[in-house]
Amino acid sequence: MTTPFRFLNRPTVWFAGVAGSLSLGLIAFTPPTTLAQLPDSVKAAEAERIAVIAKVKPAVAAVCFFGGTACGSGVIISDDGLCLTNFHVVQPTGPVMQCGLADGKLYDSVLIGTDKVGDVALVKLLPKKPGETFPFVKLGDSDLVRAGDWSLAMGNPFGLAIDFNPTVTFGLVSGVNRYQPPEGKGTLEYTDCIQVDTSINPGNSGGPLFNMKGELIGINGRGSFDKRGRVNSGVGYAISINQIKNFLGHLKAGIDTDHATLGASFSTDSEEGDLSKVFVSSMLDESDAFRRGLKPQDQLVAFAGRSTTSTNQYKNVLGIFPKEWRVPLKYRRGTTSKEMLVRLMGNMETVKEREPQPGDAPMPKPGQPQPGGPPANPGAEKAKQSPAMKLVVEKKGYANFYFNTLAQDALLADMKKNFGDFSKLTGDWTLEGNVQLADRGGNVKLTWIDDKAGTTEVKMSREGIDDSVKPLGENVSQAELALPQGSGGLLVTLWHYRLLMTQLRDGLNPNGNVSPGFVHGGSEPFYPPLANGIVSANINDLRVDCNVLKTKKGQFEAKWYFSQKDGALLGCEATFTKEDDPCELYFYDFKEIGGVKLPHKIVCKFGDKVFATISARTYTLGKK
Amino acid sequence: MFRLVFTGVIALLAAAMPVSAAEPVSTVAAQVNEKMVKIFGSGGFRGVTNYTTGILVSSEGHILTVASQTLETSELVIHLFDGRKMKATVVVTEPELDIALLKIKVEGKKPEEPTGLNLAYFDFDESAKRPIAAAGDWVFGFSNQFEIAMRNEPMSVMQGMITSYSKLHGRRGIFDFPYTGEVYVVDAITNNPGAGGGALTNRKGQLLGIIGREIKNSLSETWINYAIPLNAKVDLRDGDKTVTVTMPEFVAKAMKGQYKPVVKPIVALTAGGFHGIRFVPNILERTPPYIDELYPNSPAAKAGVQINDLVSFIDGEPIYSIKAFTDVLRKTRPGMTVRLEVRRGDNLQSIEIKLDEWPKGLLPVIPVPRGGEFPKPGDK
Repeated sequence: MTTPFRFLNRPTVWFAGVAGSLSLGLIAFTPPTTLAQLPDSVKAAEAERIAVIAKVKPAVAAVCFFGGTACGSGVIISDDGLCLTNFHVVQPTGPVMQCGLADGKLYDSVLIGTDKVGDVALVKLLPKKPGETFPFVKLGDSDLVRAGDWSLAMGNPFGLAIDFNPTVTFGLVSGVNRYQPPEGKGTLEYTDCIQVDTSINPGNSGGPLFNMKGELIGINGRGSFDKRGRVNSGVGYAISINQIKNFLGHLKAGIDTDHATLGASFSTDSEEGDLSKVFVSSMLDESDAFRRGLKPQDQLVAFAGRSTTSTNQYKNVLGIFPKEWRVPLKYRRGTTSKEMLVRLMGNMETVKEREPQPGDAPMPKPGQPQPGGPPANPGAEKAKQSPAMKLVVEKKGYANFYFNTLAQDALLADMKKNFGDFSKLTGDWTLEGNVQLADRGGNVKLTWIDDKAGTTEVKMSREGIDDSVKPLGENVSQAELALPQGSGGLLVTLWHYRLLMTQLRDGLNPNGNVSPGFVHGGSEPFYPPLANGIVSANINDLRVDCNVLKTKKGQFEAKWYFSQKDGALLGCEATFTKEDDPCELYFYDFKEIGGVKLPHKIVCKFGDKVFATISARTYTLGKK
Repeated sequence: MFRLVFTGVIALLAAAMPVSAAEPVSTVAAQVNEKMVKIFGSGGFRGVTNYTTGILVSSEGHILTVASQTLETSELVIHLFDGRKMKATVVVTEPELDIALLKIKVEGKKPEEPTGLNLAYFDFDESAKRPIAAAGDWVFGFSNQFEIAMRNEPMSVMQGMITSYSKLHGRRGIFDFPYTGEVYVVDAITNNPGAGGGALTNRKGQLLGIIGREIKNSLSETWINYAIPLNAKVDLRDGDKTVTVTMPEFVAKAMKGQYKPVVKPIVALTAGGFHGIRFVPNILERTPPYIDELYPNSPAAKAGVQINDLVSFIDGEPIYSIKAFTDVLRKTRPGMTVRLEVRRGDNLQSIEIKLDEWPKGLLPVIPVPRGGEFPKPGDK
């Protein structure tokens, strides 16, 4: 019964509704008191509310087709014009649209990132003059919102405001942590959302929901309807801002993001009287949760730090994370319970598109409007003349790859600043130091040596045991790639590290953007073990929010984690096959050697075990 | 006199509540939520929801809700605020108040035994002693509208104002509504699926009324948001006598198992007199009553009704749908005469029909009545 609003209902429909309710002849309400009699506290609260509305109003946008035909609403969250809205608002506009602000002006705007499942999109307004900044609002903490809190919704319902001055509605938060199932092929799923009786109507889609401090707590986008048609029935839903925060790194990097699945299905027991419990009913064997040891019949106790007593609650928590994130999961088997980190799988890749069947309605031709679907874009031709068109690069898996390139630029600049210039250090590398394995320790020597053809061999010598591998050599077996045995591919991952630092984007991406071996992967949490080796009782205490760089060379893929706080490279994960655990490296103790910084402690982890801790005494970095 | 002035001041303060009240609304909402249950029963088809809302009126697990079709099952299930799932049974229903009292069944205990549940509840008697809320008072509506909440997920809370305290007369063909007493009309949109039986409270979370069923004015195509006040009162015809029943009396007696609903004359449930008209297939909520077929030699055929006529009035009452026609005819008896106004081409024709006994084998299926005594399994 709940559906995202789409586009504009004709205002006449609404007027008919108003006339109808008047004809009911309800007695009009006369205030029992005059303004002068109101207590000061009431007047003060009203003045405060007016001030809050005045403060946030300039940042509320009307998201329009190019040319100014209204589609929905949005809200600016940074002075450079980043603006949040609903995916279903920008779906019909294409990558270039216009946003109208309360100043009455239309700004050319470009789509940056999309979250189709979560119904969120990020667009950027372009300033009229270079360097001009935009008014913006502060992001709140939606986990603090309670049912019964007052709220303000702003936007452009029914496309009423031709001058883009937003409409404000005021009401209660009716519920929090609400779940609304997806509409369509697994998209537009509202998880952990905020339910309001604040009036939300078609055209409010994508607009902000504020708390009474004027902090952004959600993006309005959906309502429950039944019999009144697609207008407010007192039940609107906003996507919580804390969910959007999880995706913001991806959105800013131009990614067409995906939500996650655990690769397991759950069922709720339905014992009378008892509180319900959630149990694993089946699992995909390629899921990380399966590899970490979760089994059917295990009881899911908590997920990402929140207790799970119903499948709705589980879906709520799962729905707020992008794919590939690692989150803590707590389960109970018999009398013992265990907390562990699990990697989440993509959602969309598990939603299989149905093959067309005989008798299906023919697909509409491109450009032909679909009945009940998105309207044709009236501004498509005009948009082609916009300077925003220069900021659009199409690529599969991305909403707009141009912004991924910008995010890469920023990361590269940080890398150069934090780690120095490795571009000349393409000769042989040597690390000498100490290694601690599970059962023994001793001296270790690591070498990276290029042969005449330029193929690198990485070798590790420890107390008489030698392992070596040429990752890009001919006829290299899977077993060799995984050397040393039990490491999950330490040597190949170290090879990848040298490749990253010395080649950077230009080396890893020789063909420009055709087959990128170097892309920004948005943001993910990373959980480096404590440097002193003490195992923390609470996994979440280890969490560091990171920017992710994804690199690829041949069959080898790796993800590099840079702390959002200071740009420190905290570690990486290297994957050989999707079926196997990645080899995890954690970097500590960066010290400067001849103008560049290198980690002097490296922890190698595979599966659930630490394989080795390498402490470097010396690095020798050859030039070419 | 003093008392009147005093309540006036309360109303004035209540109108200015959102800032001056001591407790945040979120705290009040959490407290009210503990006294409410989600009810799951029959339905789930033809626009009848299989979920509704109830309020706890005793620590033993007595639940008050609207007498809806959702209750027409022996398998009622309720979810408590803390997520516990339990069975419940209908103790008794009073269709004229449009209200039903339920009781939670505890596994292994007989209905008359104490349940020992010790739940938070609204003290109905105390609540009903409070003065009637006035137009302009802030109110909150709590319900499980749209079945948003399951198990321990809290009720939806809405805010609004009382816009009127007034009688709500059901009129045949306009809305089908058994309760004829006063109601609180509110501007919060409480008229949503599953909201019936929810709580209407004041700013402090004190119970004012019970959110009513979904009803629509079929003339204006609008739905009305209302709640039945705790002091609801109806006059019932019991044979030749008129008895007055109040909601507090109903609740008090029903909780002791002593309430006997007044049995309504069965005539309202018959098919009425036989006319011989068959309409076009009734596929819409308001299918216009176009005549599709006439039984040979039936009263309508003999009186000159023709195929393709559109029935517009019965005895001067406008008729907009096949359902409205059937509802009116159900209240007739064989031998009665009804006057139809039918539209034929551009003209209205007035035709009198003398209703007859139903021919054997033609008796239509009688629709289930709303509220009141529900048919038990096996009933015809």
